[in-house]
Amino acid sequence: MKRFQWVVAVAAVCMLVAACGGSSSSTSSATSTSSGTSTTSANAGKVGGKVVIDNVTGATWTCGFNPFNSSVLTTGATFGLIYEPLEYVNILQSTKPPTPWLASSSQWSNGYKTLTFTIRNGVTWSDGKPFSANDVAYTFNAMKSDKTIDLNALWTADGGPLTSVAVKGTDQVVFTFSAAAQPYFYFVADLTPIIPQHIWSTLNQSKLSSYTDTTPVGTGPYVMSACSGQNVKYLRNSHYWQSAAGHPVPQIAEIDYPAFLSNTPGNLALAQGQAQWGGQYIPNIQSFYIGKDPAHRHIWFPPVGNVSLVPNLTNPLLGELPVRQALAYAINKAMVARLGESGYQQPANQTGVITPTFQSWSDSSLAQPTYDPAKAEQILNSAGFKKGSDGIYADNSGNKLSFTIKTIAGYSDWDASLQVITQELKAVGIAVTAQDENSTSYASDLQGGHFQLAYAGSGGLGPIPGPSPYYELRGALYSGSIGSYNFARYKSASTDALFNQYAAASPAQQQQIIDKIQQVMVSDIPFIPVTEGVDWFQYDTTDVGGWPTASNPYAQPAPFNSPDSAVVVTHLYPTH
Amino acid sequence: MRYLARRGGLFLVTLWAALTVNFIIPRVMPGNEAQAVLATFRGANPGALHALEIQFGVNVHQSVLASYFQYLGNCLTGQFGVTAQGVPVMTEIMSKLPWTLGLVGVTTILAFVIGTVAGVYSAWRRGGRLDAILPPTLFIVSTVPVFFVGLLLIYLFAVKLNWLPLSGNYSVGATPSFTLPFIWDVLKHAILPGLSLVIVTAGLWVYSMRNNMITTIAEDYVKTARAKGLSSRRIMYDYAARNAILPNLTGFAMQLGYVLGGAIVIEYLFSYPGLGYLFYTASTDHDLPLMQGLFLFYTLAVLICVLIADLLTAVVDPRTREA
Amino acid sequence: MATDAASNVAIAERPPDTEERAEPRRLVRAVLGNRKAVVGAVILLVMVFVAVFPGLIAPHDPQATVGPPNASPSSAYLLGTTQLGQDVLSQLIWSTRLTLWVTLVVSVIATFISMIIGVTAAYIGGVTDRVLTVLIDVFLIIPVLPLLILLSAYLAPGTTSLIIVLTITSWAFQARQLRSQGLSVRNRDFLVAARARGERPMYIILVEIVPTMTSLLAASFLALAVFEVGFAASLQFLGLGNASQLMWGTMLYNAQQAAALESGNAWWALAPGLAVALMGAGFALVNYAFDEIGNPALRPVRRRRRGRPST
Repeated sequence: MKRFQWVVAVAAVCMLVAACGGSSSSTSSATSTSSGTSTTSANAGKVGGKVVIDNVTGATWTCGFNPFNSSVLTTGATFGLIYEPLEYVNILQSTKPPTPWLASSSQWSNGYKTLTFTIRNGVTWSDGKPFSANDVAYTFNAMKSDKTIDLNALWTADGGPLTSVAVKGTDQVVFTFSAAAQPYFYFVADLTPIIPQHIWSTLNQSKLSSYTDTTPVGTGPYVMSACSGQNVKYLRNSHYWQSAAGHPVPQIAEIDYPAFLSNTPGNLALAQGQAQWGGQYIPNIQSFYIGKDPAHRHIWFPPVGNVSLVPNLTNPLLGELPVRQALAYAINKAMVARLGESGYQQPANQTGVITPTFQSWSDSSLAQPTYDPAKAEQILNSAGFKKGSDGIYADNSGNKLSFTIKTIAGYSDWDASLQVITQELKAVGIAVTAQDENSTSYASDLQGGHFQLAYAGSGGLGPIPGPSPYYELRGALYSGSIGSYNFARYKSASTDALFNQYAAASPAQQQQIIDKIQQVMVSDIPFIPVTEGVDWFQYDTTDVGGWPTASNPYAQPAPFNSPDSAVVVTHLYPTH
Repeated sequence: MRYLARRGGLFLVTLWAALTVNFIIPRVMPGNEAQAVLATFRGANPGALHALEIQFGVNVHQSVLASYFQYLGNCLTGQFGVTAQGVPVMTEIMSKLPWTLGLVGVTTILAFVIGTVAGVYSAWRRGGRLDAILPPTLFIVSTVPVFFVGLLLIYLFAVKLNWLPLSGNYSVGATPSFTLPFIWDVLKHAILPGLSLVIVTAGLWVYSMRNNMITTIAEDYVKTARAKGLSSRRIMYDYAARNAILPNLTGFAMQLGYVLGGAIVIEYLFSYPGLGYLFYTASTDHDLPLMQGLFLFYTLAVLICVLIADLLTAVVDPRTREA
Repeated sequence: MATDAASNVAIAERPPDTEERAEPRRLVRAVLGNRKAVVGAVILLVMVFVAVFPGLIAPHDPQATVGPPNASPSSAYLLGTTQLGQDVLSQLIWSTRLTLWVTLVVSVIATFISMIIGVTAAYIGGVTDRVLTVLIDVFLIIPVLPLLILLSAYLAPGTTSLIIVLTITSWAFQARQLRSQGLSVRNRDFLVAARARGERPMYIILVEIVPTMTSLLAASFLALAVFEVGFAASLQFLGLGNASQLMWGTMLYNAQQAAALESGNAWWALAPGLAVALMGAGFALVNYAFDEIGNPALRPVRRRRRGRPST
C-alpha cells in the first residue's frame, strides 16, 4: 500500500507519548549476550541469496537516506537496514523486555527521571571508524540545534521532558528528564536512529533534516551499495557487529528495493515471484498471490493500530453525543472488515484497544456498541432528530445529518470500506459521501480541522502505535495532540489528567488508567474505530527462511517497519 | 510554397491556441482548484513558483492581459514551472519521453505499414473475401477502446498463458544497460502494450486507406493504365496507392492525437513508465502544472507530426507546389 | 448551379445529394436493405430496451450486497460478483441507462454545435469562414484524451462534467464535413430565393439549409457516438469519473482497483469493456452503412464474375 509520507514529521509538534507499559524497563535489560540476538540454527554460517522488497511508495527514489526525513523514513529504506536504535522494542511482544541493540544495557533511576545506557563495544561504522557513546550523545544533542529532527518531541524545547544528554565515563550515556518519563523509553531507545558524529557534525547543524545523505554511513546490517531512481541495492555489511566466528550476520548477501509507482505493478511483482518480502495490501490475496505457489507463499497480518471514522467534534452536529452514538451503532464493522478489507483486518473495538495484540490491556467488562441499526435510529429519535421526506434525519432547525468523509486517494481498501459504511449509514438515515484527497491535502485538512468526518489511522495518517495502548490512545485523545494526531479535536481535562498520571504510575495503576480511558472511549465516543489496521506482510520461503510468523512474532514483519526491519534481516537466511 | 506557408501558419496559430487554452482553463473553470494546488507547493524555487502563479492567476495583482504576455514570454523561454515534487516540468517530461517515444513511435510505424498495405490490397481485390471481411472487422476493431484490447491481451497472454510480463518496462530490479539480455527484457515488456496500440490504430488506417483507394481506382488514369496493359501490381502501387495515400497523410498525422490518447490509457494499464503514465499520476495527484505542461507537449507533438506530413505531401504531390 | 471553388477540399468529402427533401424515407429503406446496418440497429435497439427497462431483466439490485465477494460466474450470478458481493450482471444491465444517456446527449450537442459552426462558416463565408475554419482545425489537432484529462482535473467528477468535457473536445470532429456540405448548397435556387425575400442568415441556416442535411447530420451523430462511448469509458477507467455512479466505465475502474483480472473474477473486468465495444460497434455498423449509402462507390460489390449485373 502506498506509504503515507507525512506521518512522523508533524509529530515533532506534539508527540508527548510515553510508557513502555507492563514491561520491566526499570530493570536493566540484563538478559543480553554480547552478540545480541542469535540467528536461527538452520543454515548457520551460510551466506548468499537475495531478497527483493515489495513495498509501493508511489514515487521513484530520490536516493537520499536521511533517517530524519519523514518521507524516506516511512519507506523503511534507511532506519533499520542502515541505521540502528539503542534497544529494540517489539510492539507485538510487549510483555517481553526490550532487546539490547547498540546499547548493551540500560537502567532507570531517580524515579524514572534518569536513564543510563551502557553502549556496546566493538561496533564500527560502515566506513571503518569506531562507534562510541559520543555518537549517541551527539545524535540527541543535535536535535537541539535542529528541532525538526526531534521527530518524537523529546526535548523540553519541543514540549518533551528531556533536559540533558551527556556521556559518562567511556561507554555510558545519561539521559535526564524533568519529570517521570518511563513511557519515553520507547522513543529514546527504539525510535531514534543513531548517526555518526564524525560525519554529521561537519554539516550545517541547524539544517540537518535537509541533508540528503546520499552515501549513508551507519552501523546497520546492510550498506547502501547502489541507488538509481528505479532501485536501491543493499549489500551485507561484512563487519556487522552481530557477526561472530562461524555465525556471519546477516546471511542474505543482497537486498533490492525497487521503486513502484502504483499498486498494480507492485502486487504483480509479488504474484509473479519477482519479489519475496512484501508489504502490500492485495485484494483477493488467496487467488492472486498464495494460489500461485501455496507451498512457499505465506501471509501474516498482525493488527497494530485502529482505522477509524473520526468526527470533527467542533462540527455542531457531530459534536452531539447522540449523533456519534448513532454512527457507532449503525456500522456493521464485521461487514466492513469482510468486504472492505477482504477480511484481512479484524473489526475494531470501540475501546480503542487492539486485540489480540494488547489483549491483556483490554477491559472486557465494558459494554461496547454493537451493530444495531434500529437502536441507532431510536437514539436519533430520542435526541429530537426527525427523518425528512428524503429519508435523512435532521434536527429541529432543519440541519441534515449529511456529511463528507475525507480519505486518501489511492487507498482502494479504504474506498471499499467507505462504500460499505455509506450504505450502512444510509440505511439509518445518515447521508455520507466519501471524498478522496491526495496525501498532502489530506494531512493538512485533518491536522487543521478542515473536515466533517475523516477515515484515518494505521496505514495512512494516525497516531504511532507503541508497546501498549497508551501510545495510540494518547496520540488520538490528548489535548496536546490537537494539530498532530488528535484529529477529532477532543479536549477533556479529566482525560488529559489520566494520560499525565501514566508516566509515573506502577504497572497495576497503568492498567487502571487504561481501563478508565477505555471507559471514556465507550461513553464519549470521541471517534469510532472500525477495523484494526495491520502490518501488511507477504513472504516467500522458496529461497529464504527465518521470517517472522504468527507463531514466532519476533518483530513487526513489514519492510516499512522501522527499526524492526533490522531484526528481520538479521534472522533471514538462504535456504540452499 | 504558398501551401507550406499556409500550413506553417496553421502550425503557429494552433500552437498559440494551445498555449492560450492552458492560460484560459484555470481562469474559466469553476472553483479555486489552482489556488488549492499551488498552496501545497512549498519550498519550490521562487522563480518557478512565480511563473506558475502567473500561469494560473493565483496571487497575481496585475491585469489578465499583462499576465498573459508574461506567461507567453515564460513559455518561449522554456519556463514551465515545477511539479508538485519540485522538479522542473520540462525535466520530468524529458526523462519519461524516451519510453513513450519508443512505444508509440514503433507501433505507429508498424500500424501505418500494416494498415496501408491491408487497405490497398483489400481495395484492389474488391468483391473478394478479404474485402468482405477485413474492412468491417478492422473498422469495428478500431472503434473498440484501446484499453479493452489491452485488457483482453493481458488476460490471454499474461494471466491465462503466462507468456508475457504484465507490467513495467523492464524486470523488477534489473539495471538498465546496453546488453542483449536487457534489451530483450525491454522488448518483452513492450510487446503487449505495443500490440494493443497496433491493433487499434492499424484498424483506423485500413479503413480510410481502403476508402481512398476505392475512390482513386475509379479515376480515369487508373483505367488508362489498365487499358495500357500494365501489371496489376504496378498499377496498384505506383499509380493508385501513391495517389490514395496523399490525401491521407495529413489525416494520419491528425489521428496521431487519438493514438497518443490511447497510449496514455495503455501505459496506465501496463504501468509503463512513460509520458502517459506520468499524465495519469499527475492527474491523481492534482499536479496541475505538470498536467498543463504535458498537455502542451502532446499538442506540440501532434502539431509537429502534422507539419512533417504537410512537408511530405508538398514533396510528393506536385499539385501543392503550384504557385 | 454554380459550383464554389472553395469546395475543393483535400480530404474526401461526401458528395451532395440531389433529392434532399425525399431523404428521410430513402434513408430508412436503404438502411433496412443493408445487412450491416440491420445488425447495428438491432444491437442499438436491444441496448435502448435494456436502458429503459433494466428492472425487467436484471436479477438483483445492482448496488446491494447479494452474494459472496469476488465469486466466479455461477448459475446464481452469471457474471460473478464484485469485491463487495454485488451481482456483476445486474450492475452491467443497470449501467446501460446512464452510459447510453451520456453518449446520446454528448453526440447530439456536439453534432448540433458542429453543424451551427460548420454551416455558418460555409454560408457566411469571408473572414468569418476563415476564423471558424481555423478554430475547427485547432480543435481537430488538439489531442482529445489529454485535454479531457486536463479539464476533468478542474471539475467535480460526475456525469455533468463528463458531458461538458466530452462535448468541448468532440464538437470539431464532424465540422469540416458539415461545412463542405454547406458550401455545396450555398448557391442553390431556394436559398437565393430566401435571400431575396430578405430572410436573416441565421433563419436561412436553421430553417432552409439544415433540413437538407439530415442524412449527413445523422451520419455525423453516429460517427461521434462511436467514439464517445469509448472516450467516456476511458476517462472513468483512469479514475476521473464518479466511482459511485453506475456506468460501464466506473465498473471497469472498480474492477481494475480490485485487480479483478488477475484475481480470478475476470468477467467483472471484461464484461463492461465488452459492452462498451458492443455499443460502439452498433453505432459503427449503422454508420458504416450510412457511408455506403452516401458514397455509392463504397457499396459492396456483388460478384461480377458470374456475369450478373451489379446493383
